Amino acid sequence: MTEIVEPSGAARAGRRSGEEPLVSVRNLTKYFPITRGIIFQREIGRVHAVEDVSFDIFRGETLGLVGESGSGKSTTARLITKLIESTSGTVSFDGQEITKHSRRQMRPIRREMQMIFQDPYSSLNPRQTIGQIVGAPYVIQKTERNVKRRVQELMDRVGLNPEHYNRYSHEFSGGQRQRIGIARALALNPQLIVCDEPVSALDVSIQAQILNLLRSLQDDFNLTYLFISHDLGVVRYVSDRIAVMYLGRIVEIGSASDLYDNPRQPYTAALLSAVPKGYGENGAGARERVVLKGDVPSPVDPPPGCVFHPRCPQARLVSGREDEVPEKCRTEMPPLGEVDSGRFAACWYPVQPGQPLDLAAKA
Amino acid sequence: MAPERGFQGETLLDVRDLKVHFPTPDGVVKAVDGLSFTVHRGETFGIVGESGSGKSVTNLTALGLVNRKAAQIEGEVLFKGRDLLKLTPGELRHVRGKELAMIFQDPFASLHPMYRVGDQLIEAVKVHSNVSKKQAEERVLELLGAVGIPRPRERFRDYPHQFSGGMRQRAMIAMALTHNPDILIADEPTTALDVTVQAQILELIDHVKREFDIGVILITHDLGVIADVSQTVMVMYAGRAMELAPKDELFRKPLHPYTWGLLDSMPRIAQKGTRLLPIEGAPPSLINVPPGCAFHPRCPHRFQPCDRERPAFADRGGGHPEACHLTIEDKRRLWAERDARRLGVAV
Repeated sequence: MTEIVEPSGAARAGRRSGEEPLVSVRNLTKYFPITRGIIFQREIGRVHAVEDVSFDIFRGETLGLVGESGSGKSTTARLITKLIESTSGTVSFDGQEITKHSRRQMRPIRREMQMIFQDPYSSLNPRQTIGQIVGAPYVIQKTERNVKRRVQELMDRVGLNPEHYNRYSHEFSGGQRQRIGIARALALNPQLIVCDEPVSALDVSIQAQILNLLRSLQDDFNLTYLFISHDLGVVRYVSDRIAVMYLGRIVEIGSASDLYDNPRQPYTAALLSAVPKGYGENGAGARERVVLKGDVPSPVDPPPGCVFHPRCPQARLVSGREDEVPEKCRTEMPPLGEVDSGRFAACWYPVQPGQPLDLAAKA
Repeated sequence: MAPERGFQGETLLDVRDLKVHFPTPDGVVKAVDGLSFTVHRGETFGIVGESGSGKSVTNLTALGLVNRKAAQIEGEVLFKGRDLLKLTPGELRHVRGKELAMIFQDPFASLHPMYRVGDQLIEAVKVHSNVSKKQAEERVLELLGAVGIPRPRERFRDYPHQFSGGMRQRAMIAMALTHNPDILIADEPTTALDVTVQAQILELIDHVKREFDIGVILITHDLGVIADVSQTVMVMYAGRAMELAPKDELFRKPLHPYTWGLLDSMPRIAQKGTRLLPIEGAPPSLINVPPGCAFHPRCPHRFQPCDRERPAFADRGGGHPEACHLTIEDKRRLWAERDARRLGVAV
């Protein structure tokens, strides 16, 4: 494992120094063992779900986490909220290290961090009424006397009819269910909300309603979001800063507009170019599409050296041959180094602004 | 009704006033309610709409995959001059999978998990042509190569779980191409895939269209995908066509308020500082489709006749057919206003 030269530097990408982060993640790693045998379980391999990830989330901002399926986005979210235990590394919340906290110690902290999930169908108990679902945090944490009144205020705020307090979730549409999930997350007035693909299951017209709701809630309650999505358009719309993950690692992090306008890590560049462009672009800023060859390698057996080198167009451009990549790419994982002020990319040969990458892909 | 615009290729599919209604204990579900369009050779015809807008039912009906006993089907689906709705199941079987091929959203569910991929493809070859197993195998290897599966001879013996999502979709495309079809219907072919793989598959579909000189019907909810690969786009809502236009016209000069709403709901990566203007409310239940224009309860520009009179699907002077009562002048003005609002400029 390569050492990150200045973890705090990379983590702070795009922010002023001296500001105190709400969440601080350092060298976070999670392996899931693959076992064989029923009684005597032997470990025969490991899924490298999250590998040496460091970043900060500052108060009031939205940090977007993008990547393809299996890149470790959701595992990272679950590690931060301590729904699963990390293999190594630390997570600090509001200045307190929570990695070693017991369940009891976590309870007051759970008030401050809540989650919104992707699937509004399976994340709500079908046998409970909306009142019970949204009111559950108060019952568990014993913080509120007049639960019903408070729940109805919340329902009103997220755009649900408070008179539907006694209805069951199956009586609502997908978008309304997602509003229920949001009301539940807001109940305890948390500081951090981790949104794990909150709009992926929704139709576009409803998706826009929910995105606008999340934005207005952020302004009203001074919320901090960790926003996970595989949809790059959505992430750009909501995020102040964005981190790109590939095979369990953060390969690039920086302010949203910088990162989208000028990706420096070849994977980020390829990912952005792969998004269907839609309309309304008049040539300027429209990139030539870089179609990556092959598939994402298995996280059980990640490639040696830079995890992206087997598919990297930049490495082939540097070597000048399609079947060859520079030795450094094959042998050593590049650290997340500063390539621009506030921009960090894990690459030995970062993409230069304006450099066309599609030539490499076609070489 | 449907426009004949510019496409030189022969008309492959001509759908005329198609209605597909499902009687249920709760009422009649009007899944498709009066739909007309044509697809030509060499054309990628995109159908876009939200879930429940009737995109998939339209094509399942064309393929004869909707149970005719459970549904009331009216209208005509002319495929190279023959009405598919009048064919017997036996006759349809000779067309389906041979001249009309389909690929589905979920490549995980479309391959049998316990048979080798190669054997499943051989089966597809042998269904419609009387060839030896050896010949069928040769054909399959050729197809697997054509869709970009590396080392087809080795992968031929793999089981579906050994394939990634993108490779499975490639295998499905190979299967669809077995008998040189005239039309390939792709129902959300990339929805289950990651963006980088989606880009590969879209490129492949486009390549296949040119190479095999076929027509493609691409069904999706993703306007970005539509904008990338189709030449003609039909926007559907509540089982009806709202607007049908060449791609550039649809994206640059859309005429229907629902199309406007869709375009303004979609966050795009290349535009910063724009605001999303969502459509209020939710799509209607197909049992209780609103009277008049189906979109009127959610439409910010509704006026007098909208709640009573269903607007005809016709060209009102905008250059392509759409179903909205507004005059063409109003449409142009309102779209310009929305353009400004989205960019945060005062009008």
